[in-house]
Amino acid sequence: MNQVDTSPNAIPNVNLRQVGKNKPRNDSPTKVYGKAIYAGDLIMDDMLFAKVLHSDRACADIKSIDVSVAKTLPGVHSVLTADDLPATNAVMTDMPGQVGGGTKNTKQPILAKERVRFYGEPIALVAAESYELAQRALDLIVVDYEDTEGVYDAFDAQKPDAPIVYGNDNIVAAYKVRKGDIEKGFQEADFVLENTYSSQYQEQAFLEPEAAVAWVDEHDILNIRSSTQVVEHFRAVADALGMPHNKVHLQAPYVGGGFGGKEVMTIEVWLALLAMDAQRPVKLKQTRENSFISHGPRHPFTITHKTGVTKDGKITAAKITLTSDAGAYAKLSPYILLYATVGATGPYRVDNLWIDSTSAATNNLPTCAYRGFGTMQATTACEAQMEELSKLIGLDSLEFRRKNFIQTGDPNATGQIIRSAVWSDQCATKAREALGDKPKSTEHTVYGHGLACYQQSYGRIRWMKDTSESWVGLEMDGTLIVRCAVTDIGAGQMSALAQIAGEVLGVPMEEITVYFGDGHVNPLAGTSTASRALYMTGKATELAAKNVRNNLFECMAEYFDVRPEELDLGDSKVFVQDNPERCMSVKDMAKHCAAQGVHRHSLEIYRAPPSEGLDPETGQGEVFPDFTYGAHAATVAVDTDTGEVTVIKSVGAHDVGQSINRQAVEGQIEGSALMGQGFALSEELILEKGVLKNGSFSEYLIPTSEDVPEIESIILESRSGLGPFGSKGIGEPVFSPVAASIVNAVADAIGTRIHHLPLTPEKVLTAINEEKTKEAAE
Amino acid sequence: MLPRFELSQPQTLPEALKALAGGVGQPLAGGTNLFPDLRGGREKGDTFISLSQVGELRYIEHTDNRVTLGSGATISDILRDPQMKIAAPALVAASDIFAGAMVRNAATIGGNVCCGSPSADSVPPLLTLGADVTLASASGERTLPLDEFYLDYKKTVMKPDELLASISWTPPTPGSAHLFYKLSRRKGDAITITGISVLVEAEGGKCKTVRIALGSVAPTIFRAHEAEGMLAGRVLTSELIEEAAQSAAGQCKPISDNRASAEYRLLTAHSLTRRLLRQAWKQAS
Amino acid sequence: MSSEKAVTLRVNGNEVNIITPAHRTLLEALRHEGFVEIKSGCEKGDCGACAVLLDGVPVDSCITLAWHAEGRDVTTIKGLGNSDSPDPLQKAFIETGGAQCGYCTPGMIIAAKALLNENPEPSLDDIKKALSGNLCRCTGYTKIFEAVQIAAEDLRKEGEAA
Repeated sequence: MNQVDTSPNAIPNVNLRQVGKNKPRNDSPTKVYGKAIYAGDLIMDDMLFAKVLHSDRACADIKSIDVSVAKTLPGVHSVLTADDLPATNAVMTDMPGQVGGGTKNTKQPILAKERVRFYGEPIALVAAESYELAQRALDLIVVDYEDTEGVYDAFDAQKPDAPIVYGNDNIVAAYKVRKGDIEKGFQEADFVLENTYSSQYQEQAFLEPEAAVAWVDEHDILNIRSSTQVVEHFRAVADALGMPHNKVHLQAPYVGGGFGGKEVMTIEVWLALLAMDAQRPVKLKQTRENSFISHGPRHPFTITHKTGVTKDGKITAAKITLTSDAGAYAKLSPYILLYATVGATGPYRVDNLWIDSTSAATNNLPTCAYRGFGTMQATTACEAQMEELSKLIGLDSLEFRRKNFIQTGDPNATGQIIRSAVWSDQCATKAREALGDKPKSTEHTVYGHGLACYQQSYGRIRWMKDTSESWVGLEMDGTLIVRCAVTDIGAGQMSALAQIAGEVLGVPMEEITVYFGDGHVNPLAGTSTASRALYMTGKATELAAKNVRNNLFECMAEYFDVRPEELDLGDSKVFVQDNPERCMSVKDMAKHCAAQGVHRHSLEIYRAPPSEGLDPETGQGEVFPDFTYGAHAATVAVDTDTGEVTVIKSVGAHDVGQSINRQAVEGQIEGSALMGQGFALSEELILEKGVLKNGSFSEYLIPTSEDVPEIESIILESRSGLGPFGSKGIGEPVFSPVAASIVNAVADAIGTRIHHLPLTPEKVLTAINEEKTKEAAE
Repeated sequence: MLPRFELSQPQTLPEALKALAGGVGQPLAGGTNLFPDLRGGREKGDTFISLSQVGELRYIEHTDNRVTLGSGATISDILRDPQMKIAAPALVAASDIFAGAMVRNAATIGGNVCCGSPSADSVPPLLTLGADVTLASASGERTLPLDEFYLDYKKTVMKPDELLASISWTPPTPGSAHLFYKLSRRKGDAITITGISVLVEAEGGKCKTVRIALGSVAPTIFRAHEAEGMLAGRVLTSELIEEAAQSAAGQCKPISDNRASAEYRLLTAHSLTRRLLRQAWKQAS
Repeated sequence: MSSEKAVTLRVNGNEVNIITPAHRTLLEALRHEGFVEIKSGCEKGDCGACAVLLDGVPVDSCITLAWHAEGRDVTTIKGLGNSDSPDPLQKAFIETGGAQCGYCTPGMIIAAKALLNENPEPSLDDIKKALSGNLCRCTGYTKIFEAVQIAAEDLRKEGEAA
């Protein structure tokens, strides 16, 4: 664990040349010139085009599937149903990654056989000479269904007489936390407040729908080029097809957004089956409508907080229950529930704590990974409760939070001692200050300010024993190569590695080439998920670059006749620190060292700190490597005639440990501000008895350019994180508090709280009118 | 992927009318509505007559006291016309927030009016302008008030061989107010939940002309004639405006859908009519 | 079977001949010809990823028929510039970080280009309006707005210098 001065004013003795600066990302040019090739852009000779038959009902028995006519259509080369698949007909949907699956061995049928359990479940695959032919073949497939009784609510699913979705019962996962003495804690409280908060389905809505091309090459290797966050799925594809792992080659080109939706396998195994069957390249590009049912959206959660506080604002006890709707298959629901459980108390210290959490199977869409991963839903509920508590005791809400923030050295909900800096207070103070004064109400408009804080992990669950590898090498002309199979899903994953290697080896990032996204050519890096990519792959790259630097310095120390620690690298030169005139270009150094037989490259592995899991009775244990802390604040305007909410200002203030690329950090904060705003206000998948009713971009409303508020990013750097140069993960953390801050701002504006998200104009107007009626009655 | 269809591409209006008279094929304007509906299976058709090459339908004409929009004028054409801000302020306001920028470049006023959708944003402002529509067929032309154009949900008085040729109106008198409010679940590119337009012309401290049109709150977009009758010729007090707004809301027959409930549409039809009438009266008087 | 037709159009200045049925969209036809810089995000005019300039006017190529492009000029992102001769918008998108995953970027820059052609000094509201049909899920649009403002400024300076 890093030993750092975590006081806010500590300025560590670092002198960074590239890291922390605004640098144009090295993936930008290819993207803005229209040259970047995404998975669906690949065109191959002799290529076939695939379509998938998705179930149009949520819960039914399949009496028969007739593909006989479809198969006879000229130009159709492959029609596959469950009957054509390996007997197991199953694909792993557990945590993918470096060390295989996690603890929950969740499997899902590749194609539905006797039963469909959710709207959109795949039933048949077709490959044909064109998409049009493939579609005509799909239209000729006759599925004889018999609807059966389903269950469409996570609470109904737990009732004794509920239909069982799969397995023995509908409980997908459950956790408990038992800490301290809540009875005693509630007795010590001056006030006890109980509230229930619930949240909705949210769609990832990445701009690039799932796409992949698969082909069998001349070495009988099955190649898949796919839009995925995880190239390690090659193992699950191989297992599903009964092939050796080393015969499946999965590579990810640039990915047009993921946000968790391309974490669990989406279309890869379907393509693999078709390419093997047709023995021709096959492309599949989901339509937007089918994309909505090809990955799992965000879990709806219902969270009840019962909190005891003293009149001076100290939390004495909390009893929290969390329930999530896992949908028809488990996918990553158990882990998401665990994240929500750990995040249930937010960034606050609660010594007397009781948590019960449950994830239940239903015949709704299977829910899965999505930026924030359960922590975000837990944060949204927790921060609403914090605001209500401060109102109840009449204390300023930031002042109230200050009295309860976790500090470095404190235990969190599962008893894990926080070792890095906790700058919740500094971040919250700055975020709120940045909002300025609240505008005065006018005839139809009221204004509100809202604040939210959070504790969000970065890095994967520690008993997954996560690792990442990276290779750094110095070429003879002084340029650098980084080889690391990290997937680049748009956050600058690849670019950051150039900046890190360049910092260590004194080479400008423009002179560095990063090979990424291909785990059979590059060292496996693990997933671009869990806010771990920068932390893990950056750390591995930093370590590898340092090895190279050490090797070079050993050789150059001899050349300059100094000790290695007297040397430094910068501006493409190696030089003696005390006498920079004594220097050599990196290019000449490369040649010199090569002649001396020095290793100019290094492969390194970074291993996250492992742990052995939670005590099942108390829920105590070390779950995550570390956490990021910060705050988001928002100003909203509410139209009292219509209930429309306009976000006017949105401020994120976060301790990112150390920014690698400032501009990229701002990009994450700004993107989060809009995605969180969408969750708070307009985004909601509507399901009626499991059937999706608004699966398109005209009905599922993500924020547009006209919805953008003034966004301000405040970046604090404690340099206390586990990542390269003391960085912390930020992709999810900066997102988690956004919706909560907007929800709190609306409550501030209208003087009452809406407990179920999103805050549609209709819900807001109803709340305003109810409040008016209540006031009139008083 | 669109379903297969045949397409004819007439170059002139007579050619287009002749094609329509043939009884095979439906008109296709900008396609911004039709193509998504065809793709989604909500509309069917195996033959279409494209109007996009019929240049004589795409024009905007301002004469002495009349504005005429060729049905082929795009929403962007309306926004680019400098005189339109005076000739139809609410139509400009509606065009400004009509779908997204690229759709505005393709969507035509004729297509928006003829699709008969209750949420067509150009229609409430045209109704409050008292616009007329001119329908053409191979056998001649007829002109009727837009107010008499809609029969029911997506049903109009147009015969299968007719084409909307143009829309025309007399611009509001200087000093009058012509307003539009679009209520939706997000600010940009969203389908309207409730769309209200109001026109008020005042003279001598009294309301000389008033027109109120409501969208997305009934099977068709409609004029609230009863409410208009309550206001015409009078001083618009708060009480009177409230009564008129109530009357307008009383005429709504909204449905519940994914965007909002019927109750919410009623509430906002009421409150927005009231708000727009107040604003318009203040602006005009 | 619907009848097919030979359609000639110019893409980024080069003549392209395609034989295509009436129902084929410009997006499908051009991607089939290898112009894969035109992205497909929704196929119904909701997201703008497929935007191209048609005779200088930005349209969603997914709801434009290939037949309707006959004899006309199509400009894709590749027609605006390249690394040797970048468009000011392309330069500014690199400078600000206006592209993250990059999938909306070609359409976004096309829409921004049309704006600057018509309005060299756009306000922030003008920019928001012009990009209202282009969805982006990564950036929160803010750096895209900055990029358009910087490019407008660059173009203005270029104009003054000329």
